[in-house]
Amino acid sequence: MEVKLEKQYPLPVAPAQAWALLCDLRATAACMPGAEITEQLSETSYKGAVKVKVGPATAQFGGTVDVLERSDADRRVVMRGKGADKGGSSASMDLTATIEADPANANACVLNGSAMVIVNGKFAQFGGRMMVSVSEMLLGQFVNQFSATAQSIAAASAASDGAVAAETVVAPPPPPVRELDGLSIVWALIKGWLARLFGRKS
Amino acid sequence: MSAVIQTPEDREASLAGIGVSRLRKEDARFIQGKGNYVDDIKMPGMLHMDIVRSPIAHGRIKRINKEAALAIPGVRAVLTAEDLKPLKLHWMPTLAGDVAAVLADEKVHFQMQEVAVVIADDRYIAADGVEAVEVEYEELPVVIDPYAALAADAPVLREDLAGKTAGAHGPRDHHNHIFTWEAGDRSAADAAFAAAPIKVEQHMHYPRVHPCPLETCGCVASFDPIRGDLTTYITSQAPHVVRTVVSMLSGIPESKVRIVSPDIGGGFGNKVGIYPGYVCAIVSSIVLGRPVKWVEDRIENISSTAFARDYHMDGELAATEDGKILGLRVNVLADHGAFDACADPTKFPAGLFHICSGSYDIGAAHCSVKGVYTNKAPGGVAYRCSFRVTEAVYLIERMVDVLAQRLNIDKAEIRRRNFIRKEQFPYTSPFGFEYDSGDYHTALQKALDALDYPALRAEQAAKRADPNSPTLMGIGLVSFTEVVGAGPSKMCDILGVGMFDSCEIRIHPTGSAIARMGTITQGQGHQTTYAQIIATELGIPSEVIQVEEGDTSTAPYGLGTYGSRSTPVAGAAIAMAARKIHAKARKIAAHMLEVSEADLDWEVDRFKVRGDDSRFKTMADVAWQSYHQPPAGLEPGLEAVHYYDPPNFTYPFGIYLCVVDIDRATGESKVRRFYALDDCGTRINPMIIEGQIHGGLTEGFAVAMGQQMPFDAQGNLLGNTLMDYFLPTAVETPKWETDYTVTPSPHHPLGAKGVAESPHVGSIPTFTSAVVDAFAHVGVTHLDMPHTSFRVWQALRDHGLAL
Repeated sequence: MEVKLEKQYPLPVAPAQAWALLCDLRATAACMPGAEITEQLSETSYKGAVKVKVGPATAQFGGTVDVLERSDADRRVVMRGKGADKGGSSASMDLTATIEADPANANACVLNGSAMVIVNGKFAQFGGRMMVSVSEMLLGQFVNQFSATAQSIAAASAASDGAVAAETVVAPPPPPVRELDGLSIVWALIKGWLARLFGRKS
Repeated sequence: MSAVIQTPEDREASLAGIGVSRLRKEDARFIQGKGNYVDDIKMPGMLHMDIVRSPIAHGRIKRINKEAALAIPGVRAVLTAEDLKPLKLHWMPTLAGDVAAVLADEKVHFQMQEVAVVIADDRYIAADGVEAVEVEYEELPVVIDPYAALAADAPVLREDLAGKTAGAHGPRDHHNHIFTWEAGDRSAADAAFAAAPIKVEQHMHYPRVHPCPLETCGCVASFDPIRGDLTTYITSQAPHVVRTVVSMLSGIPESKVRIVSPDIGGGFGNKVGIYPGYVCAIVSSIVLGRPVKWVEDRIENISSTAFARDYHMDGELAATEDGKILGLRVNVLADHGAFDACADPTKFPAGLFHICSGSYDIGAAHCSVKGVYTNKAPGGVAYRCSFRVTEAVYLIERMVDVLAQRLNIDKAEIRRRNFIRKEQFPYTSPFGFEYDSGDYHTALQKALDALDYPALRAEQAAKRADPNSPTLMGIGLVSFTEVVGAGPSKMCDILGVGMFDSCEIRIHPTGSAIARMGTITQGQGHQTTYAQIIATELGIPSEVIQVEEGDTSTAPYGLGTYGSRSTPVAGAAIAMAARKIHAKARKIAAHMLEVSEADLDWEVDRFKVRGDDSRFKTMADVAWQSYHQPPAGLEPGLEAVHYYDPPNFTYPFGIYLCVVDIDRATGESKVRRFYALDDCGTRINPMIIEGQIHGGLTEGFAVAMGQQMPFDAQGNLLGNTLMDYFLPTAVETPKWETDYTVTPSPHHPLGAKGVAESPHVGSIPTFTSAVVDAFAHVGVTHLDMPHTSFRVWQALRDHGLAL
């Protein structure tokens, strides 16, 4: 099961701050509900885990994230994540993310994400038809958290009189959701579907 | 003797023999939940097995770590290919002359392939154990499209066959090629096409579907280490074949292997093959010395055990301008999945696909079927049909419709012009089949009259003329001929064993009887109908005749139940065994009545002295005498065994008509009428025939209108649960109208031809014919199955017919 995603998310922070957060893989991962970096294997290679809960069933994906390419000048990073769970599913994602400055506003930027996600096994078999909606929803959650984190960093750095360089920031308190909850996913999907249904009629 | 003199008709009625709608003897236990299926079997000390399966469709196994699984309390063993290797059981032969991995040996070839098994104290612990087995894969490129599989640079799927240029069915010209099989006369067909004024061609895909019986596959294997014998309760349509294969694989003498098929909850071809789960359960029982149960779940059943169909077909017809068919050419690309595990008679890698000249007198024909490997589950079984007959019938029926459309001749009329005429039987087809009997014109007329076909066409024309009509109306017509009852052992064998079947009948001293058979019922009602045959043949009431099947220790050797072979082959064996008994009984009766055998007449249930109704002996009298005081020179007892090797196949046929109304807004196809006329020769139990036809039509409806097994580019099967895979219930199923004609088979002892698969074979192209017919006025000649609302709506949209 293959899903291609192309997304643009406007963020209310300066490009440098968003880029700094994006380059901090631990902090970025923390923005994804249920995901965490558990170990750094090398300069560009990490071990991570994602936990998904659907009703009473929990799937724990374990795998690796490799930073394949990073360009500070273009504010572009290319990553490959691969993982599998013990229940017979595996997934991989090639992600290219860039931070683009907003020409109209120095304190705003756009996060461009382009991802190719491949899911195999039970997740593909059962969830195939929901893959696009689920992925979009997860990315939405991620971006909200990413934006909030970036803003709190921006606020913190402003509070310290702008003296602290972006590189030295530490991640803010962990996000409130610690695992992907399938029930909330289903609910969000239903809400999305209803919205589309009525949106089309109006 | 009784004072009441019964007429012969009364006595005949009391036998409940051939032709009587006798109620099914099986139902009493099934409707009370008293059936005894494999999963009902519990044995002392029984362990449970579950299977670790591949999440990917193609990959190399880098590492398997069993430690965490073995550490779970209650897990008794974890077996992988490495453990089976010393026993040479990590691969096994298939019925099609290939080999299949029992547990993946270094590579996985399809999603859900068996990689390891976990044996534990209970089913839950086994499942936990499966989750704890860690398998690391290196993913390889996946091949899903069979056409892509034959590209020069396509990935090599079967590395174990590297360098093998000869397969079981001739040369292999590509690393993913299995066989190319041809029938008919290519040059004659080419010549017919070169000379013909009209030629039509059509590509069609008969999609991969799954038989999906209500009961999934499973077994309980019990090896007794003291006595050295192995008993296995198994969901098998062919228990004797399983016994032979198990003995060959395990080295246990066949006399110490007992295979029992208890009640079987539907087979439909899914339970013909020998699956890795069976082999692993048997090996585990031998290794652990305890009974081991394995029962697959629904997802495993749909994903891994025996699919059907998946034929990509190109058909061509050559004809005259008035629609007389002159030639037929067919090219098929057959997607067999990762291993060639089709269940066909050995010599026929494409089964009996060459029945594809159908009910028509076609001068020249040729077909070619090419089998290829892909990264899908193996199978290709005869799902409620005689080997590949559904595919063949679908092809020819679609092609005749295409030709009719091209020439603007009505589809009933074009059939009438091309039917093999009644007086042409026995008829030899261009592929060499010798059709036994048929009367297609009579059957067609009866069907057209039953539904007032001209009125339907008039109604359709009116609907087409009305641009505001909310529905499109389609009329489907099919006139199929099947080839069943495999088969004559000169042509048909499975692993070298001829496809005969057998019956043993014993008449007890008090006149009741037991019959043991080489077949096994899975819903066909053998216990009911077989007794009726004996009742008529021997004059014993069917109520006192027991029919036993499925236990290889008691039943005579038989090839099992599939391909509509029970009545054509085993039914004949019953008649022949009964006739041996009858011949002996006549000798005994002559002795008792002190006349010569020639002076006796048989009447319903008794031998009578010719010309004197008061002097007779019933079969019960004879039975007693045979045990009490048989005539000098005759062995005591009254029993017989017969192994029946049929001289030919049988050729049941039918005419099916269907009317659909397609909602132009939603694409929903509502089946307004479905009329099925079947001719299966002599009818043994009309009620059971009707039930069989209802069941077959319902499964045909499922295939045509909803079943699909979609694979994505990575080889994930995206529909392996009953949420996705369409299994119709009473809610979706249309109302069926059945009818019949009777054209007995001249070579069958009873004249019977077999029926259970006809409705499946015949109905599927009828639905397609009806749906396509709804679009015929805009030039559509074919739409591939399944005709789901969405797909039909897409066709409506593409042709500007959607509302």
